[in-house]
Amino acid sequence: MHLLHVVGARPNLPKLAPVYRAAARRTELTQTVVHTGQHYDDALFSSLLTDLALPEPDINLGVGSASHAIQTARILERLEPIVTREHPDWVVIYGDVNSTAAAAVVAAKLGIRSAHVEAGLRSGDRTMPEEINRIVADRLASLLLTPSRDADETLRAEGEPEHEIVFVGNVMIDSLLEALPRARAVSHSRGHVLVTLHRPSNVDDPSRLAALMAGLRDVAAERPVVFPVHPRTRDRLDQWHIDCGAVQTVAPVGYLAMVALVDASHAVVTDSGGVQEETTALGVPCFTVRDTTERPITVIAGTNRLVHDPKTLPGLVRAAARPPALPTIEGWDGSAGERVVDALMAGALP
Amino acid sequence: MRGVSTGIEQGMKLLHVVGARPNFPKLAPLSRQARAVGVDQVVVHTGQHYDDAMSASFFRDLGLRPPEINLDVGSATHAVQTARVMERFEPVLLQHRPDWTVVYGDVNSTLAATLVASKLGFRVAHVEAGVRSGDRSMPEEINRIVTDRLADLLLTPSRTADATLRAEGEPDDEIMFVGNVMVDALLYAVQRARTIGFRAKLGLSTAPITVTLHRPANVDDPRRLAAIVSALREVAKQRPVVFPVHPRTRGQLQMGQFDVGAVRLIDPVSYLEMVDLVEGSHAVITDSGGLQVESTALGIPCITVRDTTEWPETIECGANRLMPDPVGIPDAIASIRRLDDPPRPEGWDGMAAVRALDCLRTH
Repeated sequence: MHLLHVVGARPNLPKLAPVYRAAARRTELTQTVVHTGQHYDDALFSSLLTDLALPEPDINLGVGSASHAIQTARILERLEPIVTREHPDWVVIYGDVNSTAAAAVVAAKLGIRSAHVEAGLRSGDRTMPEEINRIVADRLASLLLTPSRDADETLRAEGEPEHEIVFVGNVMIDSLLEALPRARAVSHSRGHVLVTLHRPSNVDDPSRLAALMAGLRDVAAERPVVFPVHPRTRDRLDQWHIDCGAVQTVAPVGYLAMVALVDASHAVVTDSGGVQEETTALGVPCFTVRDTTERPITVIAGTNRLVHDPKTLPGLVRAAARPPALPTIEGWDGSAGERVVDALMAGALP
Repeated sequence: MRGVSTGIEQGMKLLHVVGARPNFPKLAPLSRQARAVGVDQVVVHTGQHYDDAMSASFFRDLGLRPPEINLDVGSATHAVQTARVMERFEPVLLQHRPDWTVVYGDVNSTLAATLVASKLGFRVAHVEAGVRSGDRSMPEEINRIVTDRLADLLLTPSRTADATLRAEGEPDDEIMFVGNVMVDALLYAVQRARTIGFRAKLGLSTAPITVTLHRPANVDDPRRLAAIVSALREVAKQRPVVFPVHPRTRGQLQMGQFDVGAVRLIDPVSYLEMVDLVEGSHAVITDSGGLQVESTALGIPCITVRDTTEWPETIECGANRLMPDPVGIPDAIASIRRLDDPPRPEGWDGMAAVRALDCLRTH
């Protein structure tokens, strides 16, 4: 059986890694990794591969950054001949990037089955491009591999047939648990507040970004605040003359360094989906500066909280405390990648 | 985000996206209605299909003006064609910023325009929403299901389509039954079609059997095509068989050295010519979705050479029959009878476009 994995952006890699490793242990499986090159920079991508013990992708489509339509279009054009040539048993797609939706369309049109890892997540907000990608991928995929039971319910309510929905648990937690001992071997200061911001609704709107930084400046007056910042956001901060105060803006960090920073922090302020889960798994208080989350389980577990008004951040961070025990969540056990591969093999065509 | 309805159409702007020949009879009634009430509109033709038959006279037959914008994407693989539509449509959408992007049917342009508009936060209305064959090996089915999932307003041709969309979890307030716009186009054209004398030009002595075949499942598989042609040859012993044939299919027939017997292959026909031909036919043999609807609306029996249909109402009213195995076609034709009165399923009344425009104005 042949798996063709399609990844396109850095957040896909911690999802691919456990599936790739589990598949590599099965002698009856061969696999090909296609990187569409949505995020093409580079050093950071390579360091992620190293941290996650992933090989260089077999094929790089080099689509680069562009508008959503153009990026999706380039992926469609360049991926189709590869899927035609490789003719895999499964096209395996991850998360919610443009490559996820584009690969689902290519496979469906060629009559090749696709399996979506992290199916059934919804923010309910269709102004997020990721939401469109999720909806399209889930509609077309033949195997919907879900991280949580609420995702199963969402897919059922959308009329997806029962036999396509398979609960496997959270593959990103596989990667986190695998990396944690190595991350802890890296020494880090403790007790800081970690910040990650990348969503257009937060970083592309000058008044919103200014309000967030004002809140974070006040947090930084009380304890160290570390903000690994994307070069694009760095430029915006300068261009809009936004004062970062004592907030330490640093260059983007690799996967292990990020796990270490999360693990050692007092609290995290983020708009990332993955970080909401990582903080939950590590028992780190998380403040999500968005109106919605596609990971409600992190809120239910008690570690994550949606924060609408950045002015409230200093008080929230001050009062933040780790829970007495780590939350136990079904499927967050480090074996989701194995279950993904089991489901792919169980779905083999006769 | 939905604005509060004012009931005033001034200022509402529609951007219609069509790409292939079957889209135009769906566009025409809505475009005419919008023009009649003074709604601002722009038609984008992606150019998925481009042939000489789609000339000024083709648009005139349908009461359409030639499209304002041509994207000229041409034919290509599904992925490449979809990609080209996306790339070229995005700047057009950003320039026109319509209140509604209106997409039609199930072609690649339908899907591509919907993806682009959803990503940019523009509202999409799908005309002919909720239509399903249940067969995902048809590329059209993929286009339909993705478009319906993303569109904000689902304008359906039948109550069956409403139920399908509900079962897929679409919210009730997005689903609007409007009826069949293809029947609007047909009823608009039928009087004029009778005046062009196309059947007389063909010199037919008795009511013929009209054949159309274009689906890859039927015309791209030589064994399958041979079996169908063999059945048509038998039918041609009973009655004249007229087969307007796409140049590509004609090529396949000639390449495979098929013996078509007395089957009369003719060049592709215009919309009005087709309406005239079908109305005067004894029966129709087809794999086209549109022709199943049109023959039913004209009361002409139809045999559909497929194992699924997206138009179950044509079967329920007794006008259409699925016959996946062509062997049975000659006997079926021998015993077929013209219907006494053309069936009129709900919403096949020529007013579908009026209802569709009302939905766009008030939603």
